Amino acid sequence: MRRNKLFHSSSFRLALFYAAMLTASVLILFGVTYWFARDYAARDENNEIDVEYASILDEAGSDGIAKLPAIIDSHMRLRKDVRGVYLLQDAGGKKITGNIPAMTPILGPTTLERPIDGRMLQIRAHGYRLENRDYLLVGQDTATLRQMNALILRTFAVEIVITLILAGLGTAIVGMTVLKRVDTVNRTARAIMAGDLSQRVPVRGTQDEFDELAAGMNAMLDRIEDLMRSMRQVSNDIAHDLRTPLTRLRQRLEHAKRHDHTAAELQEVLAHSIRQVDSILETFGALLRIAQIEAGGRVSGKRVIDVSSLLTGIVEDFSPAAEDRGLKLDSDVGSGLQVSADPELLTQMVANLVDNAIRYCPPGSRISVKANQVGDNLELAVCDTGPGIPPQEREKVLRPFYRLESSRTTEGSGLGLSLVAAIAKRHDARLSLGDNDPGLKVSVLFPMAA
Amino acid sequence: MRILVVEDDSETAGYLTSGLEEEGHAVSWSRAGRDGLFLAMTENFDLLIIDRMLPELDGLTLVKTLRAARIETAILFLTTMSGIDDRVTGLNAGGDDYLVKPFAFSELVARVKALSRRPRGTTVDTQFKVADLELDVVKHVVKRAGHEIQLQPREYRLLEYLMRHAGQVVTRTMLLDNVWNYHFDPKTNVVESHLSRLRTKIDKGFTPELIHTVRGAGYCLRAPE
Repeated sequence: MRRNKLFHSSSFRLALFYAAMLTASVLILFGVTYWFARDYAARDENNEIDVEYASILDEAGSDGIAKLPAIIDSHMRLRKDVRGVYLLQDAGGKKITGNIPAMTPILGPTTLERPIDGRMLQIRAHGYRLENRDYLLVGQDTATLRQMNALILRTFAVEIVITLILAGLGTAIVGMTVLKRVDTVNRTARAIMAGDLSQRVPVRGTQDEFDELAAGMNAMLDRIEDLMRSMRQVSNDIAHDLRTPLTRLRQRLEHAKRHDHTAAELQEVLAHSIRQVDSILETFGALLRIAQIEAGGRVSGKRVIDVSSLLTGIVEDFSPAAEDRGLKLDSDVGSGLQVSADPELLTQMVANLVDNAIRYCPPGSRISVKANQVGDNLELAVCDTGPGIPPQEREKVLRPFYRLESSRTTEGSGLGLSLVAAIAKRHDARLSLGDNDPGLKVSVLFPMAA
Repeated sequence: MRILVVEDDSETAGYLTSGLEEEGHAVSWSRAGRDGLFLAMTENFDLLIIDRMLPELDGLTLVKTLRAARIETAILFLTTMSGIDDRVTGLNAGGDDYLVKPFAFSELVARVKALSRRPRGTTVDTQFKVADLELDVVKHVVKRAGHEIQLQPREYRLLEYLMRHAGQVVTRTMLLDNVWNYHFDPKTNVVESHLSRLRTKIDKGFTPELIHTVRGAGYCLRAPE
């Protein structure tokens, strides 16, 4: 099973490919070397023959053709060990001296097979026509060359065998190492699929690509676990938050059923119940909307919009209501600011923030809607001089259903800021809650419209 | 009015039918998209109330088919599909109004009335008059008993909408939808505060009072009988 897996793994195949390439390059290297070495040796031999011929003529001197047989005889004796080949014959083809039989003269370089001392040898030789029409053949046995070739071939054979063994070994090691590490990742994935979301891929600290892969996967898993946890949290919260009003509704209806009421009293109970159901439905609606925005099915509405006029419009819409509550609502918005956003969602976001400020600020407070360019970003802020939110609570109020102790009595679902957070995220904007000193400053940093 | 309700949930359909009949309308009901389309194309209705999710043929396709066949009956979508995109696609397909379930019946009644007075494709009125209150859309001028009244832009749009629907009840949501273009419900009483300012400018110092609050339903601009 395991072996089978190794052969099927792509890292093994890749390593195998490298091994084959290595072997092929060794073979090519050998071929080229062999060819050059042979060529060089052959040329060296021809050279040697030419030198030998020249030295014979040199010893004979200008008129010493008569001395040639003696000189050749002495050379023959001297170069017996390297198997020098000599043949001197007259113009009529009669052998004068030499260690091979007379032959039909061949001029220039040639390769022959002739018996010497009773053994047939391959000979490399050069034939010359002398001034007196005699024929001289000088040559030597090619055994040395053949031996050298054989040696080169043997050396390379051994080298190829070693190369193949090493390449095979390397392939197996690389294949198995990679397979093992991939297997670790797979095991983690299977464990997670089996339900244990806390599993992580071990990181070896070598900072290689496998570590990078592991780190990437772990970061992804962290994010997923985070999302799952907050999902679980949200569904718990929903169950809790909706049970309370539903319980109250049930009590009210049951109470009405048990007691005798006048028609007018029953009408009152029903009207109250409908209001309660409406408020529950509203919570569901808000949850649904947050889910829709988070699901991201709303890219279509994104376009470059004039934030300045959008904000002034909202401030104008909310001003009368703010005034009625004894609040002052104004805007401090630079002109011609643009951002790429969904106008409807952006409107709802700002409206929600202004809504919150109006509801939580005591009379006499001041609420400002601000927008200005900060570097490459557009900062949009709703500031108030109300009670503010303690620093340690600021992160928490963005969670669905989370409400400050002090605000429990104020009407609201506890979803307003979650919706704002969802809209901000949808626009790659950064939402932060800060101190307005005194009061609250909610700012949203949008990437500027291109 | 003759109204056709295309709705697959029989309980909702029963609630709609009996409620609308109490209001004095003649209501037909069809459960499936295909039947609804057949009825709408063969008979004369004043209004179609159509669910978006229907068996066989969905509401959106039904409306597109009707409009392609040049049937101009007023259409109200009544649906649980509450996404912003859903609303836009519904109106673009040829719906005249879009009401999301769950809804208050008074809301539906008000919207049905508003649609009945909106003949499709006729010429647009530019001058409105209720008692001694006048509004000229072209000149952008409002007069009460001959005196010109200065209005903020939003107050003007609010009054224009009320005058276009004079004598009808308009709900808070209708005003948010049509005057503010807010398809969500702000907790702050945006509508009420603007309306009270408009009332001060229109009604204060004049008789009779023209802007009325209809308890539990909405507002109504009307001249005394």
